Amino acid sequence: MTSTAQERSALLSKLGLDAQNKGPLGHVLGTGNIGQAVEKGDGRMEATVRINPDELVWDPQILVLPHGGDLELTLINDDQNTHCALLPSNGDRKFIWLVNHSRGRALLNLDGPGYYWYSSPTGNDEGRGLTGAIVVLGDVPPEARLDRPDQPRP
Amino acid sequence: MTTADYVDAGEAIDQGTLSGKHGTAPPVVAGVTYERILDARSEPQNWLTYYGAYNGQRFSPLDQINTENVKRIGPAWVFQAGTSGMIAGASTYAFEAAPIVVDGVMFVSGWDGWVWALDARTGNEIWRYKHAVPFDVSLCCGNVNRGVAVAQGKVFLVTGNAHLLALDAQTGKRVWDKTYGDVRAGESGTVAPLIIKNMVIVGSSGGEFGVRGHLDAFNLESGEHLWRCYMVPKPGEPGSDTWPADGQAWARGGANCWLTGTFDAETNLLYVGTGNPAPDFDGDVRPGDNLFTDSIVAVDVDQGQIRWHYQCTPHDVWDYDSIAECILFESGGRKLLGHFDKNGYFFVLDRTDGSLVQITPFVDRITWGAITRDGQVTAKVYPDKEGEPVHFYPGPAGAKEWTHAAYSPKTELFYVPVQDVGATATRRRREFKESIPYWGAGVNVDLEDMTGSVSAFDASGEEKWRWRAELPMCASVLATGGDLVFAGEPSGEFNALDARTGEHLWKFQCGSGHHSSPTTYSVDGRQYIAVPVGWGGWAEGFLPGMLGAGHGSALIVFALPES
Repeated sequence: MTSTAQERSALLSKLGLDAQNKGPLGHVLGTGNIGQAVEKGDGRMEATVRINPDELVWDPQILVLPHGGDLELTLINDDQNTHCALLPSNGDRKFIWLVNHSRGRALLNLDGPGYYWYSSPTGNDEGRGLTGAIVVLGDVPPEARLDRPDQPRP
Repeated sequence: MTTADYVDAGEAIDQGTLSGKHGTAPPVVAGVTYERILDARSEPQNWLTYYGAYNGQRFSPLDQINTENVKRIGPAWVFQAGTSGMIAGASTYAFEAAPIVVDGVMFVSGWDGWVWALDARTGNEIWRYKHAVPFDVSLCCGNVNRGVAVAQGKVFLVTGNAHLLALDAQTGKRVWDKTYGDVRAGESGTVAPLIIKNMVIVGSSGGEFGVRGHLDAFNLESGEHLWRCYMVPKPGEPGSDTWPADGQAWARGGANCWLTGTFDAETNLLYVGTGNPAPDFDGDVRPGDNLFTDSIVAVDVDQGQIRWHYQCTPHDVWDYDSIAECILFESGGRKLLGHFDKNGYFFVLDRTDGSLVQITPFVDRITWGAITRDGQVTAKVYPDKEGEPVHFYPGPAGAKEWTHAAYSPKTELFYVPVQDVGATATRRRREFKESIPYWGAGVNVDLEDMTGSVSAFDASGEEKWRWRAELPMCASVLATGGDLVFAGEPSGEFNALDARTGEHLWKFQCGSGHHSSPTTYSVDGRQYIAVPVGWGGWAEGFLPGMLGAGHGSALIVFALPES
């Protein structure tokens, strides 16, 4: 049986898909919070993701950017264990250790549109729930688009 | 607890700085000019451009490794790309590139936006570049990239999300970045760029998503866009009468240039093959020949305009892209072009005007139709009835996929990797929606009764020898001045054949299937054979019987013992 959108949150909780060691062992991908980056006056964007105690999930798990460009990301580990982050960025992926109760920064450059996954590649953090997504909205530049009439989309 | 209580974790760093392998390459690419690339085979120690030279022959005059001593070669070094973290297309990546070598430095692209500069003598990594490719890009045939171009101090590559990048060849840092395709429309980038004059030229991928294929030229210094050449005409343009007059079939027509072209400076023409029409298998929605799909197209490289074309499969309903390389050669005083098409025929054209010289089948089983010696095409078996399965040879990957043939000017023979495998297509009409696969059929490629070969043909189309393989051959071949032909198998064996007889001389099990373009070079007088090994890509299209094989991600380089 499938759920309606309204029932989704309650069903996730009932089945224990949105917490550690409740239903499955970990926190199932895509069951966390959604947040949006804030655009600064200089065109850069900024956002914060954190790891809450004993949740082993990025909060927000899905971070949405209004367009491609530079993102100043603050990472906060409020957990009582050490984690890390391997994040997408043009040039090379960005890596940072996040010891217990630490706060760090990452400057990311992303194209978009599209979405990127990132994770904490230590132990099995990725499997337990520390896999998140960065979603970039927007379109490619006008000069890169096809010369044709507008086409239907799904 | 306050913010001040937090331990300062600092700022995230480049992952590559934790690899123990990073540095700066010597400025070997600074002196790579158009003139040097024009005369690339006069410096056989290098492999300066995708095919080794503009002529697309994939031939090197190097002859230190030859028919007498090839049995003694072994691995000189191995580069293991591996992976960590999350990557796009983890199930479909393949190592498809042709390594470029300039004066002891190798530049090679991987999948998912990777580029490495390696010491070509030792395999030590010098620098790496990783582009962040969105996970949701439309990719018909895997998360793959076929290689880089180099010139004037820069390394050029395209990314899965259709960006063209220029990197500093010494540091790997990005110099400029241009978007040349629309990922929301289903476009992507997989091609190895080609440097001609002051331009870097790239084509688009996405023919399975109903896009409109194009070539683009950019100024290699500044990244300024110079021209775009669409391969499907708009209404009123030459060739538009081969598309329905009403509706927008042309706007979704395909004809992508997803493989690197070849170039003749005397004709000033770029020879490029175009991809399938869309939808691939449902021809009723696009009656007509559908120019310039499935064609060999000659483009004036300064103007970005089509000068002539030759269509290999008019009104294709089998997915027979004509993207394969156009090998330039001379015979009988004529400037010719050889092309092994997915439809199973070997075409030789006069490259000055596109006139047909000869056509010969190069695979045993061709049932989709027939082409006469004078070029008349008759379709026989095709998915024209909704819901009715139709079986045909070759399957949609073709009698030869994108992987390249080679030509030796010493033997005057072409060497072609052959895939003899069929498929069943069942037409299923669907509405067009941007970014959604637009095939118009369900397709199953045969799991049994398949074979392959490396076959040698002369310019008249006469088969001179055939080395039979157990499985279809799905990797580019390489011809050398040592009278050798190197060819990798899907099962992992890398083979050396006698270029004159086809005799099998040597093999090495590389641990993963081959789906790349091996190259050769020398450093300090020692010849090396380099082959990227990493099975994957559109395996369900060309060899589904090997879908369960491990991907691998190694670059293996062979040489004779030093002592």
